[in-house]
Amino acid sequence: MPIASNDELGYKPLDGGWGWVVVFGAHIAIGFAYAMPKALSIFYNDIQEDLECSSSEIALMSSIMLAVMYAGGPLSSWLVLRFGSRPVVILGGLMCGVSMVTASFGSSIIYLYICVGIIGGCGLAFNLNASLNIISKYFLVRRPLANGLAMAGSPVFLCILAPVNQYLLDSYGWRGSLLVLGAIMLNCCVAGALMRPVAQPPSSPPEQKVEEQPNNTNSNLKESCLKNISFFDVSFFKDRGFIIYLFGSIMFIFGAYAPFLFLSAYAISQGIDEHSAAYLLSFMGFVDMVVRPGTGLTANSKWIRPRIQYFFSFAVTYNGLCHLLCPLIHSYSFLLFYTFCFAMSFGMVFALIFECLMDLMGPQRFPSAVGMVTIIECFPMLLGPPIAGLLVDITGDYKYLFILCGSVIFTGGVFLFVMNIYNDHMLKKEKNAKDREQNQKNMEDQDHKDIKRTPKAMMEQTEFEVTEDNGAQGDLEIAETPN
Amino acid sequence: MLASWKQLIFQILLLLVSCRHINTTSPDPTPPPLVPIDSLPRDVRRAAFKGEGQIEKVELLNPVNLELVCTWTGHQNKESNITGFWRKDGLEIENSHLTVQLENEQYQLQQVFNIVSEENLGNYSCVFESEVKIDFVVAVPQIGEIRDKPVVTYVGDSGVITCKMEDSKPMPNTWKWYKANGTDKEEIFAAAEPQRYEIKNNERKTKLLVNNLTMADSGLYYCGAVYTLSTSMGHVELKVITYYEPLKPFMAIVAEVFILVTAILLFERSRSKKNDTEGDMMSDQTNTLSPGENNGLEGSSSMRQRKT
Repeated sequence: MPIASNDELGYKPLDGGWGWVVVFGAHIAIGFAYAMPKALSIFYNDIQEDLECSSSEIALMSSIMLAVMYAGGPLSSWLVLRFGSRPVVILGGLMCGVSMVTASFGSSIIYLYICVGIIGGCGLAFNLNASLNIISKYFLVRRPLANGLAMAGSPVFLCILAPVNQYLLDSYGWRGSLLVLGAIMLNCCVAGALMRPVAQPPSSPPEQKVEEQPNNTNSNLKESCLKNISFFDVSFFKDRGFIIYLFGSIMFIFGAYAPFLFLSAYAISQGIDEHSAAYLLSFMGFVDMVVRPGTGLTANSKWIRPRIQYFFSFAVTYNGLCHLLCPLIHSYSFLLFYTFCFAMSFGMVFALIFECLMDLMGPQRFPSAVGMVTIIECFPMLLGPPIAGLLVDITGDYKYLFILCGSVIFTGGVFLFVMNIYNDHMLKKEKNAKDREQNQKNMEDQDHKDIKRTPKAMMEQTEFEVTEDNGAQGDLEIAETPN
Repeated sequence: MLASWKQLIFQILLLLVSCRHINTTSPDPTPPPLVPIDSLPRDVRRAAFKGEGQIEKVELLNPVNLELVCTWTGHQNKESNITGFWRKDGLEIENSHLTVQLENEQYQLQQVFNIVSEENLGNYSCVFESEVKIDFVVAVPQIGEIRDKPVVTYVGDSGVITCKMEDSKPMPNTWKWYKANGTDKEEIFAAAEPQRYEIKNNERKTKLLVNNLTMADSGLYYCGAVYTLSTSMGHVELKVITYYEPLKPFMAIVAEVFILVTAILLFERSRSKKNDTEGDMMSDQTNTLSPGENNGLEGSSSMRQRKT
């Protein structure tokens, strides 16, 4: 499968200027996408009393919203490929606004599932997907930093929306709050308006790709056509790097959210009072807020950028290790330390999760790839917390939850690390084989051209061979110098 | 004749004098009888003096003979006899002064009180030497878990108010609901107005549903957990507002979004017009691919393969 170097944008991305405004817009859109399902939990008690439903029924509303947000990935990718990011984010913002406003008139929980869960989730899917795509268009050199800043929207907006929702609930009840939230979510349209489309060059890259690789004309052409038409590109599954990334991120997502959801309950079970337990979550939010851009900046450095997949696997392993060590000691200061490490690793992973995919797939294949990844990640995300919760109910002890999540994530991290080493090794071998093939081909072409020359030409040819070998090495040297 | 008249006047005078004695009412509250009634069960509560402002909670459901026992280890120089008495709601109970002997290095005051009705509930204090006291708050179980923020509902909608008695406390016999009317409480009878009010009682929980809300329904609502001795009250505020209240910030934010989007798009259009007149300099910058940059681009997108 062609490696990332073939997927060129065809133009030099801005890497700054208006790009930072686009990052700000993406920050808002991504912030709403991740924070809103969690922030809605503030309304649960009141909605439960009014609509007379159980707590699991009301929690399902947020789960549906998150699930549809991830499952809507492929549809969003297709729309972005066709219309660009701006209209998609504006549409997403409108859908979110409409979903909240209609939900405020709801009289049954099913109505809320449809309005908030499905329509709202779909809107958020458009926001998330299109924001990630526009970042990949505007940035290349500073892309990890841009991604880190944009993904920081999630903890920032959670910290903002939680008290805002509480204030709205106290002033207007849950119905009025949803109405006002609908208006607030329309600000995603403002974020969308900021996402100015990038001017595309006249020549389309897929055609260039076909010229460069005369060996694979038919299959490549078919693949690129398929890619442009459908949003389910099965050819990704032939990409070793993609499969490795997918497995690693599935294992991470499975274990990622359960400790987050059960943290305050665990703290209370350890004898800590409610206020301090709630403080743990806010503390997590603040650490996360700082770590995400920090990770982006670190990943941008010249030492880490080439090894970003390893940095990602380190972050995942670190997260798993945190959870495994949590049940060992039972003091508040240790719990605080655990929360700090958890928040740091969580932030690191999420700052890098989409950057690594962009790095693997390149800006051309990223739109379809991210849709594919999010719809597959839907399943571990939905399965993880209920299974963990079931474990807590059966064993009656929170420590098994941490052991389960920690071991799954840790295994995922180690898997990513080892398989990345293997993948890089195989890629190097394939590249060397390809280079040798190219050299041989060039030599044969030369032979065919100079078949009627004198022996003097033969001497020149051997010299040419030697310089060709040096030239190939020279190319590698050029590639190794930092950009 | 005259003797019988004198006798009558004398008898009348005697009657008047004795009546005046009968008519005087004591300003002090009726002291609880100090002789226990045998039919009631006995409940004994003990407390040892630990420090200033000590309060012991006594939760009662049914009429009992409540025996309260106070013990105190005394000062450094322990006298053999000290005085002790009892107070109810801050007022001294008559005939409760006792002389307390020092036994086993401590002083002990005990008293049995007849708790039969609501008047008997209150704050009982045992006092040693007018300085050391322990308060016993004798009451029915109080509603602990109650909403302190108002319930916000809309005109024409229906509102729900819930009251719950914790699992750790005894269940009430029944629940009653009251609406505050000035300083008074009016009981809500759901049967009288079935369209407007609905009361759903579950042993520990009670729900008041108010249908077809109007602005007049705003105010304090009291839920009462009824026990044999008394009713314990909790209150929740109901706020009824019109749809215009949240609509105001809604319209303001929609207007803000509309203005911002229009401004951004107009700004962009004017900038692109400026670029057109300047001869497309910006698009040239983004589209050029010089050979040096080509190598750099190739190098940067294949960065993940570069290792030392």
